[in-house]
Amino acid sequence: MAGSELIFISGGVRSGKSAYAEKLIREHGSSERLYLASGQKGDAEMDERIHKHRRDRQFDGWTTIEAQVKFERVVEDIPEGAAVLWDCVTTWLANELYAGWEHGTPCVETEGCMERKWQELQMTIARIRVRASLFVIVSNEVLDEPIKDPSYQRWLGRIHIWLASEAVQAIEMESGLAFHRK
Amino acid sequence: MHIVFGGAFNGKRQFVQDRLTGQVDWYEEILPEASNHTTVTTGLEEWIYGQLEQGASEAHIVKQVQGALDKQQVNIHIWILTDISRGIVPLDPLDRQWRDATGRIYQLLFKEAQSITRIWYGLPENLKGDGWT
Repeated sequence: MAGSELIFISGGVRSGKSAYAEKLIREHGSSERLYLASGQKGDAEMDERIHKHRRDRQFDGWTTIEAQVKFERVVEDIPEGAAVLWDCVTTWLANELYAGWEHGTPCVETEGCMERKWQELQMTIARIRVRASLFVIVSNEVLDEPIKDPSYQRWLGRIHIWLASEAVQAIEMESGLAFHRK
Repeated sequence: MHIVFGGAFNGKRQFVQDRLTGQVDWYEEILPEASNHTTVTTGLEEWIYGQLEQGASEAHIVKQVQGALDKQQVNIHIWILTDISRGIVPLDPLDRQWRDATGRIYQLLFKEAQSITRIWYGLPENLKGDGWT
């Protein structure tokens, strides 16, 4: 695929994956650093976590774009040549898979819904890669335990396999150590 | 005996399918039988769960797994093992017993294996040996 380098990073909770991803962006040398946040605001602790992340980045020349849903909308806000970090796939998937639950029609139970969103996501990623000079995607390890939510976990596995195959680098984080799987 | 190991939905089965030739006997959620063909066993953890649910002791389950291993002699036999060892300790006693028994049986199989390949989202990593080809 044409476009910028894609780097896929995944790791467990507190594995240092976000810090490592941010370091890659900082060291890349682009003057525009863009953070695509898909974390949903909810309870006070989550809000504080988001604010802390934002404060940390604020002094470092980052711009944060909230992208909880309708991820494709972010593309036009991305300056040419920017270094872009998307954190993270698991929250995007949770938001999209269960979108519509309040009306009793969650995407996961609607024929073809998630398949369509997945096609759109692949297109959005391709479009971001055309504009950005570096695109780092962060995700989470939730497939090494007994299956609790088969459709969520199946989709996540499928997305991760695709990302790992598209990426020029695929990195597994373990307690702050980066293992280059590709 | 060869093991392909990793989390659920990581592409383990695809990895094995892409590297097999000739006649293959697949055993899904059941122990493999003696065969002259290549055998692939998947869903062992589900089989273990079923055994525990029916009241089998872990010792009895281990004995059956060992018996299945002993039956395989000349052919290539592959076990696709799904990692269920992480995450929060389950509340349900049977689920805890299941995770423990599965972990110990995986240890036994890992010890016996000539090769172990870990799959992380389709990307292989050799943990032991060089695979079966």
